[in-house]
Amino acid sequence: MRSVSAAETAPTISPWAVQAEGLRVRVGRHLAVDGLDLSLGTGVHGLLGPNGAGKTTLMRALATVVKPADGRLQLLGQPVDGRGNLRLVRRGLGYLPQQFGFYPRFTVREFVEYLAWLKEMPGPAIPDAVQRAIDRVGLTEKADARMKTLSGGMLRRAGIAQAIVNSPEVVLLDEPTVGLDPEQRLDFRTLLRELGVDSCVLVSTHLVEDVVAACTDVILINRGKLVYQGTPDGLVAEGGPDDAGDSPAERGYSALLRRHRAEEVR
Amino acid sequence: MTRVLRTELRRSSAGALFLVLLVAGVGLLYSAPDVWAYGWMPVAMAERQYLILLWPLALAAGAWQSRREQRSNVAELFASTSRPLPQRVAPTLAVMAVAAASGYLVVAATTVPWIAHSARYLPTAVFAVVAVGALSLVAAAWLGMAIGRLVPSPATAPVVAVAGIAVLLILTPPVLGGRTWLAAMLSPTRGIGLFSDFRTVSGRVSAAQALWLAGVAVTGTVLLAAGKRLTRVAALIPLLLGAGAALAVIPQGSAYVDSPIDRVAQQLVCAEGSPRVCVSRAHAGLLDVVTPRAREALRLLARLPDPPTSAVEDVNTFLDEHVQPYRADTVMFRIEIGGDGRLLNPDSFAMRMLYAGGMSEAPCPDGLDPAVSIAVAHWLMGEEPPAAAAEPDADIHSVWAGLHALPEQAAIDRVAAVRKAALACGDLAEALAGGTA
Repeated sequence: MRSVSAAETAPTISPWAVQAEGLRVRVGRHLAVDGLDLSLGTGVHGLLGPNGAGKTTLMRALATVVKPADGRLQLLGQPVDGRGNLRLVRRGLGYLPQQFGFYPRFTVREFVEYLAWLKEMPGPAIPDAVQRAIDRVGLTEKADARMKTLSGGMLRRAGIAQAIVNSPEVVLLDEPTVGLDPEQRLDFRTLLRELGVDSCVLVSTHLVEDVVAACTDVILINRGKLVYQGTPDGLVAEGGPDDAGDSPAERGYSALLRRHRAEEVR
Repeated sequence: MTRVLRTELRRSSAGALFLVLLVAGVGLLYSAPDVWAYGWMPVAMAERQYLILLWPLALAAGAWQSRREQRSNVAELFASTSRPLPQRVAPTLAVMAVAAASGYLVVAATTVPWIAHSARYLPTAVFAVVAVGALSLVAAAWLGMAIGRLVPSPATAPVVAVAGIAVLLILTPPVLGGRTWLAAMLSPTRGIGLFSDFRTVSGRVSAAQALWLAGVAVTGTVLLAAGKRLTRVAALIPLLLGAGAALAVIPQGSAYVDSPIDRVAQQLVCAEGSPRVCVSRAHAGLLDVVTPRAREALRLLARLPDPPTSAVEDVNTFLDEHVQPYRADTVMFRIEIGGDGRLLNPDSFAMRMLYAGGMSEAPCPDGLDPAVSIAVAHWLMGEEPPAAAAEPDADIHSVWAGLHALPEQAAIDRVAAVRKAALACGDLAEALAGGTA
């Protein structure tokens, strides 16, 4: 396995929006993230890994929803261990959880407004920011529809709208493309690229093609450990003709995982 | 914040709470309007008694509202945001409070067109009684929200509703060691006492209830906004402070009067002109209806020797020592108001004033002979009572026929004897027969 340290491969823009050293996060007794080193700056970072790799747990830790068990985690220059200003950090976060909860009786606009308020955006700025976020995810015509009337794909887009409404410095999107049709996925990739210009965007997904198409940086984890961090081209280069997958990127993904599992067995 | 408040008002359980309180409150009130239609204080007291159902409903609505976060699975998303929990729950607390209080107030307001034509007397104590009721619903909603957050289960709302009713039913003087004042302090349905036209609620009792309920409300908010176990324990502090302050304010033991009388409500308001006709301030709105009927009764009584020269509402109550003496020169009458807020049976009002020749049976422990009393009234009115085979109508008709058969002066003398006997709570039949009273 070609293992690359975070410091070597992370984008060169500084300061780091996300810095983790030896990060360990438990889910019950299970160590879901196990000694992860990660540094993320501005750009779009794709987080890949098989089921149970620890992607969602890592996202939750970065979203300050769960506390790390060990190691060091800094977000926007603030330690996330009770010593830093967690409130300040959260103002700069945008988070779409894997299980996106919403108030079904709220309209899209009301729900995004509510989240903008929860993120302590200045009141006068909220209406324009909400409209902008709704427009960016293509829900303009559904802005005044109740959340409970939306399809799965529309709900996901509403979830993205709430995540980006505060123009966050760190955007954490867990499985954002679930339920999106192909055209919407293409639009979403464009949105990701736009967001990545000013923000540190971390996208957790199963869809390797989305990562290759839209991300500047790929992070692959397995069993809570970092397997690979590098460019999409680097991921493609890891694959060989005999590796599983329908595309070069998928073959690279399979190859890296196969090698990591073999190393673990040894 | 304004936009969030507006959204919460539309989308939270606040609207449902308002409607439930309105429907249940109006339904309960108008199921028995005769209980309260005779004045503003009875309205306020009746609505307070109906808190036995409204209070648990507000408690359940609060618990249901708090389940929204768990039901909608938003906890993780919200936990990633910067606004602290106390601020986050503030709009929901505010709209639930608005819904609870306005629901209660609107129920009271529905009685305005119903009784405004007759109910003129509006003592400030009414506002205190209503305010305590509204505050109790706010406290219930907030406490329910706290319970709903601590126990986020679909069963929580119905369970707290039942528990709320049980608590209100249990908080009775016998359970509290005979401490009526303690029951009045702890339960918003207590401290009302017995209904009468001149009842009031002491300001100190209302203040104590408000302090206790404020403690309950603040405890609810602290529990709701508490993120740590220690804060939840600390939530008991406002409850204890509220209880302590209420205990310091409420009259205790023999100093507590369960059914105090409003002396201002008892004060007489008289019609212009003569003869003098007066009603209590509580019934001042009926003076115009009562006066012509009372003067007609006085005119009919004027045929008697030493006739009464004024008619005054009898404001004595069984809750109180008699504040008005019963005298021969004054006809004392009771005012009864129907469920429509109007004088009950106005057509027979003058007739009732003439019972026993205009003498009240109220001071007589054994009452007065009803047949003689009513027959005399019919003779004075010049109306034959309905002939009937059964008592008491048969007796009334028989006595009236006896009087009617007498020469007028003889009949007048007999009626005058009946009046004299009635004043002494004597035997009317004997007086009518020409014996001594």
